[in-house]
Amino acid sequence: MSTATTTVRGVEQVTQPPQHGKPGGIMRHLNLGTGLLTGIVFAVGAGWIVAALTPSSATTPTFAPAEPEYVYLAGLIGWVIGFMLGMGAFIGPLRWMMGRDLTHDDAEYMAGKDLGVKRYFKFTTDHKVVGVQYLVVTLVIFGFGGTLAMLIRTELGVTWSEVFSPEFYNSLIGTHGIAMIIAMIIAVSGPLGNFIVPMMIGARDMAYPRLNALSLWLLVAAAVCLISSMFVGGMQDGWSAYQPLGSQAPPGMLGYQLTIIVFAISTAIASVNLMTTILTMRAKGMTWSRTPIFVYGIFASSLMGLYAFPFYQYSQILALTDRVWGTVFFNPLYGGSVWLYENLFWLLGHPEVYVIIIPTAAVTLELMPVFLRKPLFSYNFAIAGIVGVVALSGLVWAHHMYMTGWAPAVNYPFMLSTEMISIPVGFLVLVAIGTFWRGTVWTRLPLMAVYALVFNKMIGGVTGIYLSDVPADQYFHGSMFVVAHFHYMLMGAGLFGAMGGIAFYFPKMTGRILDERIGSIGLWTAFVGFQLTFGSMFVAGLQGMPRRVLQFDEQFNISNWISTIGAYIIGLGMLIFLAAIIFSWTSGVRASGNPWGSKSLEWQTAQPVPLENFEVLPVVTERPYNYGVPDPYDEELAAEDGDRVEKVGAS
Amino acid sequence: MSAPTEETLFPTTGEPVATIARRGRVGLWLMIVADVAGTIALLISYTYLWSLNVNGGWAPPGARVPFTESNTGPQKADATWAAEWPFWVILLLVLLSTVAMWWSYKAVKAGFEAAAVTGAVLSTLLMVAALIAQWIQITTFPFGPSDGAYGSAVILLCASNLFHMLLVLFLLIGIVNRTRKGLISQDVNYQSQAVSYYMTWVVVAVLLGALVTTFFVESPNTDPAVFGTFETGAKSAPEAPPSPSATPSSSPSASPSPSAS
Repeated sequence: MSTATTTVRGVEQVTQPPQHGKPGGIMRHLNLGTGLLTGIVFAVGAGWIVAALTPSSATTPTFAPAEPEYVYLAGLIGWVIGFMLGMGAFIGPLRWMMGRDLTHDDAEYMAGKDLGVKRYFKFTTDHKVVGVQYLVVTLVIFGFGGTLAMLIRTELGVTWSEVFSPEFYNSLIGTHGIAMIIAMIIAVSGPLGNFIVPMMIGARDMAYPRLNALSLWLLVAAAVCLISSMFVGGMQDGWSAYQPLGSQAPPGMLGYQLTIIVFAISTAIASVNLMTTILTMRAKGMTWSRTPIFVYGIFASSLMGLYAFPFYQYSQILALTDRVWGTVFFNPLYGGSVWLYENLFWLLGHPEVYVIIIPTAAVTLELMPVFLRKPLFSYNFAIAGIVGVVALSGLVWAHHMYMTGWAPAVNYPFMLSTEMISIPVGFLVLVAIGTFWRGTVWTRLPLMAVYALVFNKMIGGVTGIYLSDVPADQYFHGSMFVVAHFHYMLMGAGLFGAMGGIAFYFPKMTGRILDERIGSIGLWTAFVGFQLTFGSMFVAGLQGMPRRVLQFDEQFNISNWISTIGAYIIGLGMLIFLAAIIFSWTSGVRASGNPWGSKSLEWQTAQPVPLENFEVLPVVTERPYNYGVPDPYDEELAAEDGDRVEKVGAS
Repeated sequence: MSAPTEETLFPTTGEPVATIARRGRVGLWLMIVADVAGTIALLISYTYLWSLNVNGGWAPPGARVPFTESNTGPQKADATWAAEWPFWVILLLVLLSTVAMWWSYKAVKAGFEAAAVTGAVLSTLLMVAALIAQWIQITTFPFGPSDGAYGSAVILLCASNLFHMLLVLFLLIGIVNRTRKGLISQDVNYQSQAVSYYMTWVVVAVLLGALVTTFFVESPNTDPAVFGTFETGAKSAPEAPPSPSATPSSSPSASPSPSAS
């Protein structure tokens, strides 16, 4: 054993394991380039081996999938393993198994110390780098899903002819759906959860830095699987991939299934990491009553993802084995049940809405006191709302199955639980409105996004109540009304909230202010387009237009034209907002360490943020959001002799 | 036997090892939550299909009552239930492996590092035996994955066991190596503890699998709806089940059932 010691974070004489070669070892040679290279080599190799081993279609039993399916699946699995290998994801576990522990120098190299811009293209463990990587990946997935949305609206807007084939159109619908769901799930928890939460709780990093990088790069590997599916027939039965349609769909379905399986692993790892960080690494004095509301939101979202995602993952594992191995889980002819699939799917499918909404709501509640210069209206009420949503989120899934014929007797209990969940969600809206009340409004770009969010969330929430109602759902089910409703929730509340959060934390993440003028033009352009698109979609739905159709009756033409025009306006707004991000990131106005005058810990760090965030770990002495409240310590310090000042803490 | 020294610090962060150990325990329990949810998904799948017996297709073809014998299709006509005792033998091996690992952890905690290595090696060998037994069981089932919902569900439960065992084996090899090198010691033993906890959960998962495959075998639904015999379907002209060419990529195609032809 080596007896070398070094100073680590101010602690002297920390014994180090033997240093083998230069710090970082083989990780010095691995990056995104090697990941892509090995991923492609493994994909081609695996596909080639399987093609060589699989009997040709002519000799396989009639029920077996065709040979190209096996080749495609092997290629995808090869890609994921090869990519992660090339990124260096397996080096850590192997080193652990071999008993070659990291030294402090190794860890610093892995965290990207002195690597400059290269650290963004490596398996870097620093939570701030991972946060920025998440932001870029989120934008890319949004761009992909948004482009598909434009194509969908183009098809529906051109009512006089078909632009795409029905198969391709179906594929657009399904891939757009799942791409946007993935993007929205990570939109706040990924960039802001990783970048901000450790600083916000006064920690130097996440609990498991290597798992942090692992979750990010697994997401990248999964995203490639999803995009690849578009080139092999796509997924033509919607993002829910209902069975047995899924088993009969083109090979692209395999890309979707593997995407979900890998994404669920990524999500579980990220959730465990965030939750452990929050539970065990809060600064001294940061009791639960002094913990910022955003931290609660991230914790709640991670918790819901942790228990619910495995059901979704297993629904896809079973569907995959049905398809390629001949199991019969969802084949009623041989004892399987499609209701089993629907239950497993929606056990995640509905909590997932709150996995998206809660962090978004929390980040808006976090920024509101800063721009209204007053404490959050009823902090405890907000926490009660979050806890209530988490408690009820697992009891509402079957409201997606009212019309399937599954267990009609439980429709009404599920109707009740679904309507009940609007109460804790309402708490969060009330806290937002209460915080506005008599606030000193400082309207900046992040607060503008809150205005948009509150408006959209009210509409999305109220229309959701109709859908939770069994008799009303008999009419609305499967119509454009449903599409409009969930877009108001997921995009209207989720995405606009995420835009506010990103605008708020942009200075901390990049060292520059997000251009207010261009950003607000983008935001409001998208908002106007959003109302046109989905407002008229409500009308089409009320008139009876079914969702997921390529052709429809002439009576729906006008609302579809308006929707399509609105969609292009959204696209324009998003491009303007993206331009604001790129322009500001590269040459925007430099920000001070705390440009908004926030009281939270993350804003008290130096700018740019040092590798380990804080030179000395902070101690928290008061509740968050005490804006406009006289600081009793200041009063005590300012008191002159003879003044009578009540001692702080004295009863 | 070495006595505990002054507070040991973690080399990469300079924090006390006790802090890292606490963090590790919290993370482990959370990871187990996700694993539990996945295992519950599989158990729900098994018991749900067992209780419904959709189309009389729960049992393997060779174990079915006469009214579903038409649904043999590409399935093996003589496929029947799995023997129950192998599930329990595998459980016993996993249990013994876990006990050995706990013994290893207790030994290293007490400062008996040689005994700890012995315990970890024994645990590894038992886990290898369990892994081989699980593999043999999967490859010698009297049914295939297509032979009814029972066949599919049992094979996936066993595959889940196999995945758990492979993961544990990786961890055990690491524990053996690290204990042998002195990286797991009386002062620093939280990794042994974490693996012991995880293995305890794996025992529970294997036990749950053994319980359902032993006690939930024949479906309680002895009069399930059978395709082609629904009242409304019987009045109208019934259609033949999908031909193999109609759904080339779907699960097993069917031969026409008497009631539908």
